[in-house]
Amino acid sequence: MKITRRLLGKAALGLAGAALLMQVPAMAQDRPAPFDKPGAVKIALVRYLSTGDFFQAYLSGVEAQAKALGVDLRVLDSRQDAALQADMVDQAIALGVQGIIIQHGLTESMKEAAQRAVDAGIKVVAFDVNVENPKIPQIEQSDRDLARLALEQAIKDNGESWKAGYVYVAGIAPLDRRNETWVDFKKKYAGINEAAMFGTLDNPIANSVANQARSVLSANPDIKVMFAPYDEFAKGVKIAVDEAGLSQDIKIYSADISTSDIAAMREPDSAWAATAATNPAVVGQVSVRALAQLLAGEDPGKNVIVPPTLITQKNLIDKDIKNMEDLSAKLPQFAHADVAMPAWMPNPNAK
Amino acid sequence: MSSGWVRMAAARDHAIRYGFIVLLFGLIAYFAIAADGFVSPQSAVFIFQSVAITGVLALGVTATLVVGGFDLSIGSVATSAMMAAAYVMVVLEQNAVVAIVACLLIGAVVGLINGWLIVYMRVPDLLATLGMMFLLVGLQRIPTEGRSIATGMTMPDGSVANGTFGRAFLALGRHRFDFFIPNLIPVSVVVLLVLAVLIWFFLEYTRFGRMMYAVGSNQRAAELAGAPVKAYKIWAYVISGVFASIGGILLAARLGRGDIASGNNLLLDAVAAALIGYAVLGAAKPNAFGTAVGAVFVGVLLQGLTMMNAPYYTQDFIKGVVLVVALVFTFALSGRGTR
Amino acid sequence: MGNDAVFRVDGLRKSFGPIEVLGGVSLDLHAGEVTVLMGANGAGKSTLVKIISGVYERGGGTMSLAGQNFAPKTPAEAIRAGVVTVHQNINDGVVADLDVATNLTLDRLSGSGAPTLFNPRRVRREAKAVANRMGLMIDLKARISDLSLADRQMVAIARAMAHQPKVLILDEPTSSLSSAEADRLFALLDWLREQGVAILYISHRMSDIRRLADRIVSMRDGVVSGVFDSKPLDYEGAVNAMLGRKIQLDRIVARNSARPVLTIDGLRIAEGSRPISLTLGDGEVVAITGLVGVGKTALAETLFGVRKPLSGTMVLNGKAYAPGSTGEAIAAGVFLVAKDRSENGIVGDFNIQENISLPFHKRMSRLGVLKRRVERATARRQIGELGIVCRSEKDEMSALSGGNQQKVMVARWMSQAARLFILDEPFQGVDISARRDIAAKLRASANGRATLLFVTELDEALETADRILVMSEQSIVGEHRNADIDLERLLAEVAGGPLHSAA
Repeated sequence: MKITRRLLGKAALGLAGAALLMQVPAMAQDRPAPFDKPGAVKIALVRYLSTGDFFQAYLSGVEAQAKALGVDLRVLDSRQDAALQADMVDQAIALGVQGIIIQHGLTESMKEAAQRAVDAGIKVVAFDVNVENPKIPQIEQSDRDLARLALEQAIKDNGESWKAGYVYVAGIAPLDRRNETWVDFKKKYAGINEAAMFGTLDNPIANSVANQARSVLSANPDIKVMFAPYDEFAKGVKIAVDEAGLSQDIKIYSADISTSDIAAMREPDSAWAATAATNPAVVGQVSVRALAQLLAGEDPGKNVIVPPTLITQKNLIDKDIKNMEDLSAKLPQFAHADVAMPAWMPNPNAK
Repeated sequence: MSSGWVRMAAARDHAIRYGFIVLLFGLIAYFAIAADGFVSPQSAVFIFQSVAITGVLALGVTATLVVGGFDLSIGSVATSAMMAAAYVMVVLEQNAVVAIVACLLIGAVVGLINGWLIVYMRVPDLLATLGMMFLLVGLQRIPTEGRSIATGMTMPDGSVANGTFGRAFLALGRHRFDFFIPNLIPVSVVVLLVLAVLIWFFLEYTRFGRMMYAVGSNQRAAELAGAPVKAYKIWAYVISGVFASIGGILLAARLGRGDIASGNNLLLDAVAAALIGYAVLGAAKPNAFGTAVGAVFVGVLLQGLTMMNAPYYTQDFIKGVVLVVALVFTFALSGRGTR
Repeated sequence: MGNDAVFRVDGLRKSFGPIEVLGGVSLDLHAGEVTVLMGANGAGKSTLVKIISGVYERGGGTMSLAGQNFAPKTPAEAIRAGVVTVHQNINDGVVADLDVATNLTLDRLSGSGAPTLFNPRRVRREAKAVANRMGLMIDLKARISDLSLADRQMVAIARAMAHQPKVLILDEPTSSLSSAEADRLFALLDWLREQGVAILYISHRMSDIRRLADRIVSMRDGVVSGVFDSKPLDYEGAVNAMLGRKIQLDRIVARNSARPVLTIDGLRIAEGSRPISLTLGDGEVVAITGLVGVGKTALAETLFGVRKPLSGTMVLNGKAYAPGSTGEAIAAGVFLVAKDRSENGIVGDFNIQENISLPFHKRMSRLGVLKRRVERATARRQIGELGIVCRSEKDEMSALSGGNQQKVMVARWMSQAARLFILDEPFQGVDISARRDIAAKLRASANGRATLLFVTELDEALETADRILVMSEQSIVGEHRNADIDLERLLAEVAGGPLHSAA
């Protein structure tokens, strides 16, 4: 017994030690090259869009995953300058990075730059920009799924027949994809009657949309559902609904989420019923993981799709979710996506 | 000479004087027929509410136009004030009064700096205020590292900001006064009307306003008439800055959070309103009444068009058309531009 | 003679709204002759010139140039046809930001057939040719904005001459020239006359007219009131035809003053200049005369707080006076009618009433709110006092003639009592009758203040002042009581040394 006890104790210690080691870079030896040596890999994030909560969160996800993997991350931000973004790819090549994440941008300006990077033997992934290159996997948050989740909830809450207001600005790729789903739903459910379509990107967007929504509501006071598949739109619509005193009569369904959105949805009698969202931090993590897979010689697939999560007003209140951190903590499907997640990949969310 | 000529001249005078007001009423009549629910007290109040923020900014920029200047920074002053209000309440957990005072201070200080750059550093007005615009767009992001501010947000250092927008502050965006109909007139509309009357009275009836017009028309003559021209110019930018920060306060109260935004659309709409104002009553110069009418004109147009489901780009187009027509009224018909 | 007219105007009419400005004007210009056009302000001279030069469309009548019908629709058309005008406002004739050479060749840069590329060397070569032909002695590389008004004027005329016109119209060309510069201009005009150019010369200056005129045409109230072409020319008759009344050259009864208002001691207004000391008395009208650029305006501005003296003291009403701003000067009762009214005086967006009240808002308001009734009453009173011709106190300034605009400027500063009333070139661009009105008003109201005029024209000083001071090189070099003036000595002082030829 004594021996057994000692043995057991040793085994327990060993296990605990192993568990501890799981989290420290010493474990890196178990990863495939080149991730077996911490700090050996250098990657670059070349951004087109960077201002706003979404992009801030995306960056934090990229940083978290890069840190977990022990890679050296360089962030190059072109601030919506398409030509500069292309130049920045060349800069990254000159810096000697092994991998590049292209975050947004224009197909026309990035296609050739991406090809140059591939030609230089650099692994590239692209998020939300189609660079028309078979060697470059696309990271996508599924806009169609986002719209679908929100609209399915709308059908569930309100039945198949209602008068709707729809907020949409054509020509913005994610909104166009969300629009396809809306068009499909209108075909599928003949009872959906789109009484008004409006929208603007004049900033502050919420303020401008609120002005429009007020006009729409005074022209169509019998609207039951507002589909605003972008959270800035939804905020504007909510302001207008509140100002018109219709918050009991109208339900808003949207896409995307932020801390202030959570607060708005949690307000007493809030008209904002549900939103479907992909956690931008998770998208950031997936971007790095897909790139890491490429570098390790694995294939993440042509399209890496990050699935969205449906967040309802009820969820938020029942689970007492007050901000994005609570959301990640209390809705696990929001905090982590099992995408591009081979066994060796460290999970940045693990504590 | 001939009475026909006199009649024609009088008719032209009338067209210039009242043309825009007639156009405004024509527009209202058209929308009343074309769009259901356009004519109602609520609808009227809403038109004012939708232009309250840009209207306040426009009144401020009118003051700089009067002294022959221009302020491109008003949009970013407004959004910076909005961020400041949110920061003071949410992050620093102060009350509404502190937030409002902080915003007004920001507006006044930005105005002083603009005035100083233009008057003492001799930077041309457009360039100085353009620089200030960029500066503020950047500055408003620094405290939160580019995040929008809302209760419960995570700060760059990982802590959570727990302050909230004070009830009193939110009331600026949400409270409504009874006016024949209960809960009719929002605070922002009252603010707009009060400021419009104030600046109108100031510009038209006080010696300070009169001298500001003199500075704008012939700075040298004003100086030789004993006016402290530099002080007047700086004051004009302070007025502009403070008005813009009031616009920012109203914006923060309406949105209930601090949004990162450049405020460029606010700037453009405000400038459009002030320029349309040139044409009202044939003034052919910046004036507060015209600016207010210009703002309402834009509001009526957008309200009507949105109610008729016109997409957003047609609204920009029509705003542009109105502005061009107003400028033609001002410069060609009244013949001011050539003198 | 009448048949060889190069340029002929017949029955020209023009109305602005209900107001007829030209009521059938006929005029002949002959090659190799200087025709002087005289007329009080509002007589229609400027309108006539603007129709001839293609700025305005005529209302009726015909014009012909060398027998051909002449009806220019634009100024450029008139110039191409050979009718060139040098306008009174010098800055209309030159581009301030460009250098002299480019200005002289400007018209060749833009006309059809002009080379696309700007070749500085060629431009300078052509400019040099123009300048030499005209005897212009100005650095061709100098920027116009750095030149004196007189030099700008010479450039504007030289530029006009580059077109080799058949008809040259000059609208008060000497109003801002010194007499030496005017002599240069006259020499140039003599030469042009010999070349066979027909010249229409508009001026109020009798000395110019005596020097140049071959014929005099007087205008009054939109019609020609007299043509004088038999030698010797009847100058007095021309003036009478223009004014419609016999002018009485009032003899000034020079006054003396015992009570000093302003005493200046050792004032220096420029580096290296001699100090100025003088005393101005109550009820006295003093004129300071001197050539352009001798520091008259600098002295006026020093007294008015626009600039600070280098050294010296001023005493006003027995108290030390050192104004730090125009506002302080006005508060102390020192008023200035600045020269060049369109630049320094008139607020274009304001009507007559608002222009008059401009410096005295504080005195006309309570709690910062303007008392409009007081403002209007003041304006009406001043309009009456100075005989300003207008429909009402609400008229725009641009609707007034030059003389009436100047009367408004004087009315502005006479609407409140001054201790020291300074007028810098108050008769610039003002017709004779308005000038006499203003001078009479100044003298009549002189009691209770000291009045100080700065004038370049000696005539103006002689007509108005009790005492004449002469300024040269930023200092006072002579003093004369306007009773028994030694003109020889005065002119010598003006010229700053040896006796000057031009009177």
